Order: sequence, then C-alpha cells, then structure tokens
Amino acid sequence: MNVKKDGFVEPSSSENAGSGAEISVSQACIINLACALALATGFFTARNFYSVTLVSNPSLTLLLILVIESPVVILTYSWFRQNPDKCSYFRAVGRGVLGLPFGALVNAFGAIALGSPVGTQYLPKTLNWSLLMSLFTCVPAASVFGSAWSEWQRLFAHTKPKGSLDYLICIPAHGAVIGAWFGAWPMPLDWERPWQEWPICVANGALIGYLVGMVVSVGFILVNGRRQHLKAD
Amino acid sequence: MAKADTSEDREKMGTQSRGNWSWFFWAIMVVHCVAILIFTRGFLLTRTELPYHSNCSDIRSSPCLFDSDTNLNNNNNNQSRSDQFCWTRPAVNRLVIIVLDALRFDFVAPSTFFEEPKPWMDKLLVLQRLASERNSSARIFRAIADPPTTSLQRLKGLTTGGLPTFIDVGNSFGAPAIVEDNLIHQLVLNGKKVVMMGDDTWIQLFPRHFAKSYPFPSFNVKDLHTVDNGCIDHLLPALYEEDWDVLIAHFLGVDHAGHIFGVDSMPMIEKLKQYNSILERVIGVLESQSGPGGLHENTFFLVMGDHGQTLNGDHGGGGAEEVETSIFAMSFKKPPAPTPSEFDSSFCQLDLDQKNMCIGSVQQLDFAVTVSALLGVSFPFGSIGLVNPELYALAGGTWDLKGPTSNCQKQSKLGEWMGNYVNVLCINSWQVKRYIDIYSASSVIGFSSEDLSQVSNLYAQAEEDWSSTKRLLLPEHESCNASSTTFKRQIDAYFSFLSSVAELARSKWTEFNLGMMAVGFGIMLISLFMHFFAIKMVSKSSGLCLPSSVDSDFPTLFIFTLFMVMIRALSFLSNSYILEEGKVANFLLATTGIVRLRYSIRENKRLIEAVAFLLLISILRFAIEVGLSKQAATSAFMNANPSWSIGFSISYHLSTCIAEIVSILALIVLACMQYKTVADRVCCGVYKYVIVATIFSYMLIAVHWALESNLVDFVLLLQGVRRNFIPRIIYAIGFGQLLLLVLGQLLEKETTLNCARSLFIKTVAMLSACSSTVIILSGTQGPLIALACIIGGHSIARLQSVEHNMKDKTPGISTSNPLSVIQWSLLAVCLFFSSGHWCAFDGLRYGAAFIGFDEFVLIRQAILLTIDTFGFSHILPVFGLAYLVSCQDLSGHQTDQEKFLIFMKLTQMYMIYGLITATAVTATVLCVTLQRRHLMVWGLFAPKFVFDVVGLILTDILICLASTYYFSQVKNRDVPQNQITEK
Repeated sequence: MNVKKDGFVEPSSSENAGSGAEISVSQACIINLACALALATGFFTARNFYSVTLVSNPSLTLLLILVIESPVVILTYSWFRQNPDKCSYFRAVGRGVLGLPFGALVNAFGAIALGSPVGTQYLPKTLNWSLLMSLFTCVPAASVFGSAWSEWQRLFAHTKPKGSLDYLICIPAHGAVIGAWFGAWPMPLDWERPWQEWPICVANGALIGYLVGMVVSVGFILVNGRRQHLKAD
Repeated sequence: MAKADTSEDREKMGTQSRGNWSWFFWAIMVVHCVAILIFTRGFLLTRTELPYHSNCSDIRSSPCLFDSDTNLNNNNNNQSRSDQFCWTRPAVNRLVIIVLDALRFDFVAPSTFFEEPKPWMDKLLVLQRLASERNSSARIFRAIADPPTTSLQRLKGLTTGGLPTFIDVGNSFGAPAIVEDNLIHQLVLNGKKVVMMGDDTWIQLFPRHFAKSYPFPSFNVKDLHTVDNGCIDHLLPALYEEDWDVLIAHFLGVDHAGHIFGVDSMPMIEKLKQYNSILERVIGVLESQSGPGGLHENTFFLVMGDHGQTLNGDHGGGGAEEVETSIFAMSFKKPPAPTPSEFDSSFCQLDLDQKNMCIGSVQQLDFAVTVSALLGVSFPFGSIGLVNPELYALAGGTWDLKGPTSNCQKQSKLGEWMGNYVNVLCINSWQVKRYIDIYSASSVIGFSSEDLSQVSNLYAQAEEDWSSTKRLLLPEHESCNASSTTFKRQIDAYFSFLSSVAELARSKWTEFNLGMMAVGFGIMLISLFMHFFAIKMVSKSSGLCLPSSVDSDFPTLFIFTLFMVMIRALSFLSNSYILEEGKVANFLLATTGIVRLRYSIRENKRLIEAVAFLLLISILRFAIEVGLSKQAATSAFMNANPSWSIGFSISYHLSTCIAEIVSILALIVLACMQYKTVADRVCCGVYKYVIVATIFSYMLIAVHWALESNLVDFVLLLQGVRRNFIPRIIYAIGFGQLLLLVLGQLLEKETTLNCARSLFIKTVAMLSACSSTVIILSGTQGPLIALACIIGGHSIARLQSVEHNMKDKTPGISTSNPLSVIQWSLLAVCLFFSSGHWCAFDGLRYGAAFIGFDEFVLIRQAILLTIDTFGFSHILPVFGLAYLVSCQDLSGHQTDQEKFLIFMKLTQMYMIYGLITATAVTATVLCVTLQRRHLMVWGLFAPKFVFDVVGLILTDILICLASTYYFSQVKNRDVPQNQITEK
C-alpha cells in the first residue's frame, strides 16, 4: 500500500512507523469526535455544575474547557506520535504537556501585538485563553513531532500538510487562529453586548474556526484517501 | 549585440516614461484636489446668509400689537418714548454682559446638582448666593449651545440667533466680520452705545459697531492673564460711566487655563476664584448704583459662557460637556417681577446652604432674540430662536405697567406679564416666519415643501387663535378672568411653532448637494483606476510583472494586501471603527507583521527583525491606547476604559523628569545613528553637512528641553531669550538644510557613487533635515517616536525581500512588494495615533503652534500646527519610502539596467503608497456620504473627513516633491548612460 508522492514514502497506517503521518479516515473521525466531545463536555460542565458561561465568567469557563479538553488532546495525539520506536508514549505526553505553556506564550504574544487588553484584571482571562489556543494549535504538533523544527516549519510556515495526520494537526490549528482573528472584529463596535468583551468573542471565533477546521480536515483526508486509492489503482 | 539593443530600447522607453511618471504624480494630485473640492462643496454645510436687516417699521406689517396701537388709546405721553423703542417695550435700560469663555455648567451650578463634588465646583460662590437669596430677580441657567463649539461660531450664533455652519470652523483662525443681521447691529441701529472689552474676536466680527472697545489678543493660549487683566482694568471704571447702554466684557482666562492645564488644575481654580472676586466687585458697584435715579436703576446683568469645555480643556464638538454652558442673569430692578411658574423648565435642589435653588434651561439660539426683546430693539432678521420666558420674566415684569393691560384692575401682575409676553411671542413668531419664507424663496436649496407646509400650518393655527387673543389684550377689553387660560393656549401654540422651526433648522440646515457629492466621489473613483493602471503600466514598461510567474507567493501576497486595504477602507463605515481607528490600524499592522514572521520562519531568515517588528507594534499599541484614553476623556462618544492601567504612582515631577531623560537619551541614540551614517558611508559634500547640521540641531533640542523643564537651573539668566531662541534656530537650520539639499540637487553632477547607495544617503539626508523640526514640535515624545519610526522602517525594509531572495537569483530585479508598502502606510497611521493625535479638532495640539513664538500669525502658526499633526504620519513616511528601495540593494555594483529598475521600483512604490492613501480617503468619502444623516456626522465623520482629505492632499504634494527630489538624480544620470549605450 505504500504510495510514492512527491518523492516521499508514505507508510501505511497499519505499520504506524516512519513519519506516522498516515491514519485512516475512521481514526481521524474518532480523534476529532473525541476532541469535539471533550469541548462539549467542558461547556456542559461549566454550565451545569459551575453554572457559568463564557459570557458570565469567561476565565473560569475557559479553564474548565481547558482542563477537560487537554488530557483528551494530549493523550490521543501522543498515540500517533512520530517515530514511536524511538519515542515512548509517555515521552510524547510529556512533550504535549510542555508544549502547552510554550504555545500559550506564543499565542499571548500574538494577541497582545494585535491589541488584546493588558492589565491585572485581564491577566487570568488572557492566560486561560492563550492556553486554550495553545491546545488547539501547538499541543497536537508538540505531541506528534516534539521539537522537530523542520516539521513545525512545514506545517505552520509553509502550510504543506502531506499525510492525513498532518491535515488533522494543521487545518484545525489554522482554523482556530483565523477564527480568533475574525472573532476580534466585533470587539470595538458600540453594540454594548457583554460578549464583546475580551476574550469572549475571540474565544468563540477560535472555537468555531477549530470546529470548522476539524470538519474540513476530515474532508481533506477523505479526498486525499480516495485520490491515493485511485492512484494506487 | 542583441542584448545591448534591448537594453538600449528599454533605456529609451525608460527615459520617455520617466518624464511621464513624474508628471503623473502632479496630475493625480490635481485630480484629487478637484474631486475633493467638488465633494466638499456638496457636503459641508452651506447656509445662505441673507443680507436683509430688520427695521423698526417692519412691525407694521405684522398682525401683532405694536406700540402705535397702544398709543392710539393711551394718552400721548407715550409718544416721546415710542421713538426710542421699536418692536417691544424695553424692559431694561442698560445691559452688562460678562462673557467667561469656556464656562462649564458645573463651574456655576452648585455641586449638589452633580453626583459628586469636584475641586473646580463651587468657586463662583457669589453667583450661587445671589441665585438662592434672590430667586425672583437672579437665576442660574443651563445654556445649551449648538455645535460647533468654538468661540467664533458661538459668538456668531449668540448675536445672530442662527445656527453657524460647520465650514466656519476653518475661519476661526481669521474671523471675518459678520454680514448677517445681528444683535449688535440692531443695537447700533437703535442708537444704543455698545462698549466692548476683552477678546479681540469681537472686533473681528464687528469691526465698526462699538462705541468704545478695548480689545486684547486672544490667540496665545499660554497667556492666561493679558486679556483678563485688561478687562478688569477697564470694566470697573466703565461701570460708573453713563455713556453706554450695553457693556460686553469677554474674559478668556478659563479657556486658556483649560487648554494648557486642563480643568482639574490649580491655575483653573485660581482663575475661577479671581473671577469670583471680580464678579463680587462688579455686582457691588451695580448694587450701589441701583437705587431710584441711580445709574443702574434698570440694569440687567448677565454672566455667561459661550461654550463649555471637556476636562482636558478642549471644545469644538457636540459633546455634552462642550455644549453645556451657563448663564447667570440678574435684574437690579426693585421690587422684583413676578415669575410665571407655568413656563419653568427648571429643576430645583438644595444648594450648599441647604436652601432650595432652581436652575433654568436656555438654548443659546434664544439668546439674541431674548436680549433684543428685553432692550426693545428689533429682532435680528435671521434669528430663529424664541424669547425665553424665564429669562424674559427676570426682567420682563419691570415696566412701569401702564401698558394695554393695565386698565384691567382685577388682573394680577402675572396676567399682565403674560399678556405682554404673548404679544412678544407673536412678534417673535411673525419675525421667524418671515425669515423662513424669505429664506426658502431666496436660497437655492431651502427647506423641503412638506416641512415648510407643516411649519406654516402651525403658524396658521397660532394666528387663528391670535385674533381672539388680541382682543383680550386691547385696552377696551374688560373681562379678565378668561384671559389667563387663553394666553396660555396662545403661548403654547407659538411655542410649538417656534420649536418646530428650530428643530427643522437644526435637522435640515445641512444642505447636502447630493449631485456634487456624487460627482466628487466619481472623480475619486476614476483617480483610483488611473492609479491602478499607472502601476500596471510602470511594471510593464520596466519589465517588472506584477502578477509575477517568477514568484509563486506573489499573487497571494497581492491578494492579501488588497484584503488589508479593503478591510481598512470598509472599517470607516462604522463610527466605532473610526473612533478606534488607531487600534484597527494597529491590528492590521500586527497581522501583516505576523504574516511576515511566517515568511521569515519559512525561509529561516531575519527572524530577529520579524520578532522585533512585532515587539515594536506591541509597544506602539500601548502608545495608541494612551492617546485613545486621552481622546475618550474629551469625546462624548467614547467611554473611557483604559485597558492598560499604569500601576505606578510616581509623583508628577519625577515622572516628567524620567520622560525628559528618556527622550533626551533617545535623541542621543538618534544622533549616534546619524553620525554612524556619516562616518560609515562615503558621504559626499552637501549631504554630509546636512546630517552634521541635524546632529547639531538635536543637541540644541536637548538643551532646549533641559532648559524648559528646569532640569538645569543655572542658566536662568537667559530667561527672556532662551524660550523662543532655540526653536527658532532649529527651524532656521531645518529650512537651511532643505535649501542646501535643493542646491545640492542642482549642483551635483558626479556619478561615481553606487546608485542605490547614493539614493540611501539622499533619503537619510532628507529625513534628517525634516526630523529635527518635527521632533521639537512633538515635544518630549518626539525622539521616541522617531526611533520607533526608524526601527519599524528598518524592519520593513529588511523583511521585504525575505520571500524573494531564495528564489530570485538576481536580487536587484525583484519587483516592489505591495505588502511592504501597506506595512509602511499602516505604520504611518499607527504613528499618527501613537503620537497622541486623533481625527478631531480637539486632537490638534495647539500648543505646538506656539513653540518658539509667542504671538499669533495665521500662516506661520498654521504651518507649525500642520507639521506637528502630519509630521510623523505623512512627511517622514513619504520621504522615507525611498529607504525601502535603497536599503534592499545596498550591496554590489549595479548595471545600468538595474539602476533604471531601482528607480522604476521607487516610482511604483510611490504609486502604490498613493493608491493606498487614496483608497482610504475614497472609502471615507463614501462613508461620509452614506452616513450624512448620522447622529455623529458633525462630531465624528466630518472631522475624520477633513483630516483624511488634508492628509491625502499633503501626501500627494509630498509624493510630488519626493519624486522630483529623488528622480532628478536619474535624469542627471541619463546622459552618461545613454552615451555609454550608444557607444
């Protein structure tokens, strides 16, 4: 089943060796479903057990979503780590956990450059938001690739995903960032709605972008898989 | 051989088109000017000023009672009196008006009327005391002004009783005489002698009207005392004199204190205390002379503001703080007149002494006609105000009541007053109706017919009742019981007519000429297309293809740039985005910065510059937020919530000290950078001297600031000279540098230098020549912003070639990068906002116009103000754009073709820059057109429009100058180049 594409040997999913870039459509669906379910659980917990929403208490809600979502993301993506022979599962989990604050720093820096409010009253909100953004963008890549700079560069600077796992990491991450960027648009408007506050609409935009990205990535994997089948035939 | 031929062809084509392109910049400037001129003619308010004047005899054509009616029935003892007055019976003989410029409502009203007492409240205690002790003869009013709230417009509005137009704002620097009929004119016409002292704007408005005048210069805002002391010197003696009927004293101290120090400051409080003591003395004098037969037996005393001010001391807009001012009115007639409680618009509250105190409400529109009625002169022809019942009542009951109603013995005094007031309102309504009719007949675009018919109906209704009411007023009428209710109904009818006229005038006085606006907008659109095709032609003629096949990133970059420009343009559709324009620009700039970072990560190159650029943007955004919070403090449309609160509580002195030291350090860094340029490069002749002169200027600036802030105390000897001497030297040096550059341009012939390098040196020389003046005008923030400008420009220049160089084997031929140009333009916008400016007239830093000069000269101060406002956002960026080209190609020797390409690239960059600016302005024009009935059109959209338009024209002019400056080098070089190729 090995297919040559761009001079790059794609290993089959069953082998799960080499770059680990190939997973089946059903696996991709399961991963996405797990992440989406975790998000839903996070919202559900926040609303029903803590009776807070993103609007009423963004900081706590984001934290709750983060607490529920992060183990799911880290544990599932670590399973599909690159070079599973050289890298143990726990090491991949550790990489993911380390990637969380690192990505948060990058995201927070970007947000501040773009104009997010800074101040003591905004600190917890910004912190939790950037951790969540990090979970959407950096953590999967950190779990899978670790500190392999060339892979990061390929995914996030060139945006050239090659295998289905690349799609799964790359597209939702971009979706989250672009969603957050668009989410900032209503903030200056004078509608006087509570959700215009930082980081509510930005977080909402990121969530929507992330979910759309998930769907799109599954679509890409489907199309890609079919093309590979055709080529193979 | 073939290659040589093509290069020769190209060279010829280049020389042809090169001339053309320089011409193109001038052409596009003319097109922009025409478009803007046409649009502005259609958009900015144009109210036709009618040349007619009211006359005493006019009243005979009105349906109302006038004095000859009563004279027929009364004994002829009134005959002599009827010569002295015209339309209404004079209620007062003399009038003292004290105008306190920028008098906020809360300066006068007791602090109990507000949520919490502030340090500047309760300082004019004498007024409060009188208002509460003699509540029937003295009262405080809340006076509502109409925007624009600048002194000249307000004085015009107060005296004409009309609504001055927005375009008059521009005339505020050189006030023209009022040609319309006005209160002062009527007073003179009726033989009243008017004495004026204080603000010389009055003299500009009424050059020939005053019997005596003591004007004092008003435009030096730093001077708190000249005008006031002049007023005080002349006011008190004048009160003992008999040779005037109306006295106007205009104090400016509060306005100037607000402009310089803000409302919450010691100088302001001291000013108010000083005014309190002056008012005490004035009232004392008036009081002492108010006995029977005294000089001021029947004098009316007014203390009023022309407009309010924000806490920062700014005014001009339509914010509540700016339009709310105060009038204190007091009559010295004894016994006081009865007040009709029915027409009270007042609200009452306990004052400081726990006494009940009421405050009335007056529109400034009503001032002219009310005062005319009180003094018994004919109402100004163009007045659309109504005679305010409360203000009129304060003095209006003080006739020796032998009028038409006096033979009704049973009637109360109040009834008499109402009878008289009904008649005054009748005259008032008749006069307003006459004005509306004549105005709509003689003005090209008057009021719409349905509005006119509605107003006419109201008037007809009121007139219908009038005939019956009139009978009640006539002396032979005896039954007085029913009259009070009839009067009241009649008064209500007139009120509804007059208020609907005022409402109509307010809403419809903006005579938008949609046809002209559409033509202007169309020409702007055409100019955009011209720009676009010119860019395409330049790239074609120079062999730089815009949608390049060489570089796969190019279309994406192009689309991305287009997207950014479109977002910025569309953001002007919403008032919220205009208010936060700085933040929007910053957001977009940061987005481009992130895209850049992505590219540099991709190529693994120049990561440091990319991150530094993002860091710089983060710093700039804090500066923008500080500016925004300053704006929010003054703007009525924004609520201040500074998301970035400064956690430190350093004492004022220490923080200014630190600011001084940091900015002087930044200056030293700047000087060092320039010194390095001189030392490093082979810097020939003229340019070297220019840069050295700039370093000298920087040193002077540092010395100047050190002296200003008294960091160095020992040079106090030069007190008189030092303040203005150094800035003037710096201006002179800057001017000399520019002259030197022009001369160098004419003289320079040698072609030894590397083309790009000489361009670089020219750019640096030009920038440094401009920078010293801009920096000293911007104050201590100047060097920091200049530093930010340099870092930002350097990063953009270094980053622009990241995505090409990997693929292009020939670095010189890379096409101009639209992303860099939009970054440059967004950076310029960010610098505008981070240097503490914003698009409103209160965002102008008037103080900058007086650095180095004390007295006001229109052109000189306007130039300085323009340099301060647009220095960092237009002048430096436009001249600095060449840096983007020159920096890129510094290394290596260029062939002739590459040299030629460099200049084509420069041309193209200037075109793209111009296109981006023009697109933004076109969007502003479109938005202003769409939002022309918006609530904030005069508060927000119109100032933004004016700023953008001025910015566009300035950019066009600067691009033209820059193109002649930079491209003349090419022409000098053309001759040898062509000779070489011919050989």
